[in-house]
Amino acid sequence: MENSIYVALSRQVGLEEKMAVTANNIANVNTPGYRAQNMVFKEFLADPRGLKDPLSEVLDYGHYQSTAPGSFQRTENPLDIALTGPGYFGVQTAEGLAYTRNGRLSLNINRELVNASGLPITDDGGNPISIPQNAQDIIIAEDGTVSSEDSVIGKLKIVQFQNEQLLEAAGDGLYRTAQAEQPSPNTRVIQGAYEDSNVQAVVEMTRMIQTSRDFQGIQRLMQSEHDRQRTMIQRLTQAG
Amino acid sequence: MRSLDIGSTGMMAQQTNVDVISNNIANMSTTGFKRQNVAFMDLIYQNIQRPGATSSDIGTIMPSGIQLGLGTRVAGVYRQHQQGALEITDNPFDLAITGLGFFQITLPNGDTAYTRDGTFGINQDGDIVTQQGYLVDPAITVPQDAIDVTINESGEVFAKIQGTVALTNLGQLQLATFVNPTGLDAIGNNLFIESDASGAPTTGNPAEDNFGAIRQGALENSNVDVVEEITNLIEAQRAYEMNSKVISTSDEMLGTITQLR
Repeated sequence: MENSIYVALSRQVGLEEKMAVTANNIANVNTPGYRAQNMVFKEFLADPRGLKDPLSEVLDYGHYQSTAPGSFQRTENPLDIALTGPGYFGVQTAEGLAYTRNGRLSLNINRELVNASGLPITDDGGNPISIPQNAQDIIIAEDGTVSSEDSVIGKLKIVQFQNEQLLEAAGDGLYRTAQAEQPSPNTRVIQGAYEDSNVQAVVEMTRMIQTSRDFQGIQRLMQSEHDRQRTMIQRLTQAG
Repeated sequence: MRSLDIGSTGMMAQQTNVDVISNNIANMSTTGFKRQNVAFMDLIYQNIQRPGATSSDIGTIMPSGIQLGLGTRVAGVYRQHQQGALEITDNPFDLAITGLGFFQITLPNGDTAYTRDGTFGINQDGDIVTQQGYLVDPAITVPQDAIDVTINESGEVFAKIQGTVALTNLGQLQLATFVNPTGLDAIGNNLFIESDASGAPTTGNPAEDNFGAIRQGALENSNVDVVEEITNLIEAQRAYEMNSKVISTSDEMLGTITQLR
């Protein structure tokens, strides 16, 4: 008897998650290297006992991230770097290697290239890149080679993955994955610019309105089902 | 309801963004001012379903998981050290740097500060000082009987002394460069001090190696591009509005729930 309420509930729970994902996209509309996420829902066939037609509930199946490139913001700062193509930078963290698209770097006390949370960006061997004390210019070439005015310092780790969707977001623009990293010959580094978030505000606002209206619709459905059941109980008890 | 809190993280971050933009606009005519901008980062994620989880006992793998992000945060405020435009003043003690480098200033406590603001003057002893009266390092003293002071591109200071034909060399101005000027610590009054992030200064003569040249009778204007700042301000305001819409929509959805009987 409660089946229709449960079907509606499954949708409502899913919509709440969708709203959280949309809210997170909007909150990160200016986060460099951020990639918009979207929910995927799937029909889930429940098998109620004794009913001829199976019930279709909503299952929150997963999410996918948009891999569209974000817009490039030019800053002319030598330590702002952007990636064009499917690659990621390597970042050394306490929990091992992580990956990021956020190329707003600076130097730490050991003159290592670090991201905004102070984690070192790694070279192709997985070690931090330190800029020598006497270097005055930092030049980062398209293939990720970091050099000073007179010598080559190292080469940034730039890798890609077979399935970008399996990257697990860890916050602070970092991603982790168990997948094997592959070289990324089609990724180029651009110095003096960073990649902004790829969130499209219009799409997110539209999605939010839609989510809110869907939510109200579901609520109305639950309300009328509730009214129907109440009427039924009243009528039947009067009849008795 | 997560989206309520997520919306508020977005609003707080955009508030900081507007603060920084308004400081840039307020300093659009501050000599030697370098504009700043805010860098954002996403917050931690809640794993509802881990990416790569198996979905059945025969080892099929979910194409992606369900990770709910919890909003955004301000990761840092960056200073951008591009060259500002030069403004000709014809004042002999107005100096501008074209290219890399900072003037070195001796603070009253003996520390060295760095600035791009070359609005200098001379104090009662004839020393070249900043507008606050702090000594420029290396110290240069202009004699009482000097009629005219010339400072060339490479920072050499010459004075024309009453009654002499040849110019007298008073000294050499030096500049300091940093490998990461973004990491300099701003202390107000257009001054910066060295920090761990900026690295140690490299000093040298102007117009040598990669040091910038000195231009006498000119000042370096702020590098704030008003059009860009206003565009950023509009962007920040819209992002703020969008985040507030997230909050009001989440509130509406919560209202919908409370109407359920």
